[in-house]
Amino acid sequence: MSVESSGRLQAMAWIGLLLIGIACFVAAPALGLSLAFWFYLALWITLASGLNIMSGFTGYLPFGYAAFYGIGAYAAAICVRKLGLNIAFGLAAAAVAGAVLSLIFARTLNLRGIYFSMVSLALAAICRILVANLPDWMAGGSFGITLGVGYRLGSYYALLVVMVATLLTVTWLARSRLGMALRAIRDDPDTAEVMGINVGRARLKAWMISAVIAALTGAIEAWYSNVVDADTAFDLLISTKAIIYAVAGGLGTVLGPVIGVIVMLFVDDMIWQRFPVLNVFLLGLVIVLLMMFLPRGILGTLLWHKPRLRRVLF
Amino acid sequence: MSALLEVNDLRMVFGGVVAVHGLSFTVPQHSILGLIGVNGSGKSTVMHCINGLYHPTSGSIRFRGRELTGHKPHEIAAAGIGRTFQVPRLFRRMTLVENLMVPVLNDARPTAEIIERAEHMLAGVDLFHLRHNYAEELSGGQQKLVELLRVMMFDPELILLDEPFAGVHPSLCKVFIDQINRLSEQGKSFILVSHDLTSVYRLSRHILVLDQGEKIAEGGAEDIQDHPDVIEAFLGR
Amino acid sequence: MTTLLLFQTLVSGIILGALYGLIGCSLTIIYGTMRVVNFAHGDFVVAGCYAPLVLLGLLGLNPLLSIPLVFIGFFGLGMALYYLIMPRLRRADDPELASFLSFYGVSLMAGAAMLYFFDADTRSLNYSFHPSVLHIAGLLIPTARVVALAAGLVLIALLTWFLYRTLPGKALRATIMNPGAIGIIGVDINRLSGLAFGMAIGLAAVTGVLIALVFPAFGPFSGMDFTLIGFVVIVLGGLGHPVGAILGGVFYGLAEQLSILFLPQSLSPVVGFALLIGTVMLRPAGLFGRVGLR
Repeated sequence: MSVESSGRLQAMAWIGLLLIGIACFVAAPALGLSLAFWFYLALWITLASGLNIMSGFTGYLPFGYAAFYGIGAYAAAICVRKLGLNIAFGLAAAAVAGAVLSLIFARTLNLRGIYFSMVSLALAAICRILVANLPDWMAGGSFGITLGVGYRLGSYYALLVVMVATLLTVTWLARSRLGMALRAIRDDPDTAEVMGINVGRARLKAWMISAVIAALTGAIEAWYSNVVDADTAFDLLISTKAIIYAVAGGLGTVLGPVIGVIVMLFVDDMIWQRFPVLNVFLLGLVIVLLMMFLPRGILGTLLWHKPRLRRVLF
Repeated sequence: MSALLEVNDLRMVFGGVVAVHGLSFTVPQHSILGLIGVNGSGKSTVMHCINGLYHPTSGSIRFRGRELTGHKPHEIAAAGIGRTFQVPRLFRRMTLVENLMVPVLNDARPTAEIIERAEHMLAGVDLFHLRHNYAEELSGGQQKLVELLRVMMFDPELILLDEPFAGVHPSLCKVFIDQINRLSEQGKSFILVSHDLTSVYRLSRHILVLDQGEKIAEGGAEDIQDHPDVIEAFLGR
Repeated sequence: MTTLLLFQTLVSGIILGALYGLIGCSLTIIYGTMRVVNFAHGDFVVAGCYAPLVLLGLLGLNPLLSIPLVFIGFFGLGMALYYLIMPRLRRADDPELASFLSFYGVSLMAGAAMLYFFDADTRSLNYSFHPSVLHIAGLLIPTARVVALAAGLVLIALLTWFLYRTLPGKALRATIMNPGAIGIIGVDINRLSGLAFGMAIGLAAVTGVLIALVFPAFGPFSGMDFTLIGFVVIVLGGLGHPVGAILGGVFYGLAEQLSILFLPQSLSPVVGFALLIGTVMLRPAGLFGRVGLR
């Protein structure tokens, strides 16, 4: 993915694509299509893109990404249900909660590879257990909280806004100097530092952006489904699915996670319809085959074999 | 003329191993210091300490009068010390142009200008046609050359060259030496670590010989070549 | 609480700890030789839990006697899995990520398979020894646990003998210490890794048999829990040190059982996770202070 672009053509193509995509999403409910399908499509695109900022750009695999998602969901739920505030406050609270949690966990960024991944996983698990054990009046205990908010469609459009904002952020990141710094850090953090990059600060910025995206997503999902509970909000599968979808499309590219989500949800849907019993088994098989034959993801592999495409797709 | 770099009583201890024993030396302005020694003599450790990749156990490193010991690598780079590595450490999944842009990300100049400069430098060494290739697609010798260009992008006053000629084709070596000479004429200083003694003698005015973390000789090429301790260190054992 | 309860807890901690240590041991063999974190490791342990159930039902086989069968079967499965996936993964851009995720895929497959064959309900191994409970030093310990501990100790001894006294074992340890050098001296690292992987999976499954003897129940979803325990244990013991893993396991077992005693049930898992985080952040070389890998 080169910073030097073929300028105008690429920018126009990208804007065009974005507008078409947005139009599809906006029109979907009006056309009577399944709101649930489009909602979750948008949700996973957002989550996978948010994760891509940490994985593809910075080189971390946060298996505890769900921690931010969950904290966002709970922040919103507590605001709405326990404090009686408007959902807008809930979303703002979620963003703040995500940012704060990411700062608390910032020390883990010094870890590398699997150490980071496992610690991330452990931290998310601790969050889950602690939240589940909070007193009922605070966080609903193991039964969770019911928000009691109406206007489901509102949550859908809010998610669209967050999704577009996320995609724009990732696009900006891809072309910005911060993005270059992150990719250098991903490839070789020591050398990046020797070349003058303040590695700690760059990583932290990416980390916080990534966390806030997840937190907002969690909050909006809470709004949509009207309920949060610790086990679902902090589920490991949230992290792993986001990782797999992003990897399937191609980490480090902007379109990769989008493509990955679309393809994987399509595949998942197809499996579910034809082989409901073997659903999880086949998902696992797809993951294994993917890593064996397309480890760079769909878009990543394409760009690897056809360097000239790097000027157009990213 | 005050020294550009002053290293005083540098000591580096890893667990039970003393890699560098109280080493002191200076690098005057506008000069090339050669650093030679057999494998394990501590050359790379010294470089890492100057760079900030290692925290010296004790001792001081002053650059342009400023105490740099224990500072983080990016601060040291900002102060004006650049470096290449023995095994080239380009950013593999970034293109050549992007690799060259990394050191100047904090620069206030517009991106287009930086790209132009990077491409100009690549053209100067006949690598312009590969500018959009990922760094990992280049040969070892080419990568080392790009590493040198990368360092030059942020215009450091002192450049640490760690085995620049190792594994490089002789024709490419000549390109290297030309670049080093050109930079030297522009007033840059170097610490040159190399096993290629001929090049070290040719390029460096002053040479430091290390053995087992200690300085065993210091002087011009003629002094070093006939020094009994040096001969023993290189051939004796 | 009484000292009796405390002693009981300590004994449980040691017994469980030895088993956790074995899980860690097999996991660290894989990590040490291939730098791969086997995300599916816990699922093979669980498969090992089901195995004596099946063998008992089909052949009326004593769980202890099923151990060699389980080992051989899973050894073969492990090697097959290795040769099927690993060569391809090695060639990936980022082999660590690729293997991490592929084994997660394997974990999903294994869990789903066990769910299919055994249903979601938890099962237990209902094999009673005679007598079913032993009186030792004033404590009441189920015979099954004592048997499991004994078997576990035998396994540890066998493993230690293998690693330190046999040629393939020494080659394995050498590989763990320096994977690069091993190829130079003429050892086929691929074959050795395959062997190591097979052995580790076999060991994991056998540990599962012992766990079935000790744990009141297990289910197809317990896999991830065991994988995590395995990881905590090997971090505690130092990555790549099989003997360290055993010690790490005992430490973890004690910590876990003590925390169940002192903390409310739902909060006790926090201790394990906190131990992991604490060790990684403060003493990444493990509790026993040897230099970590890579």
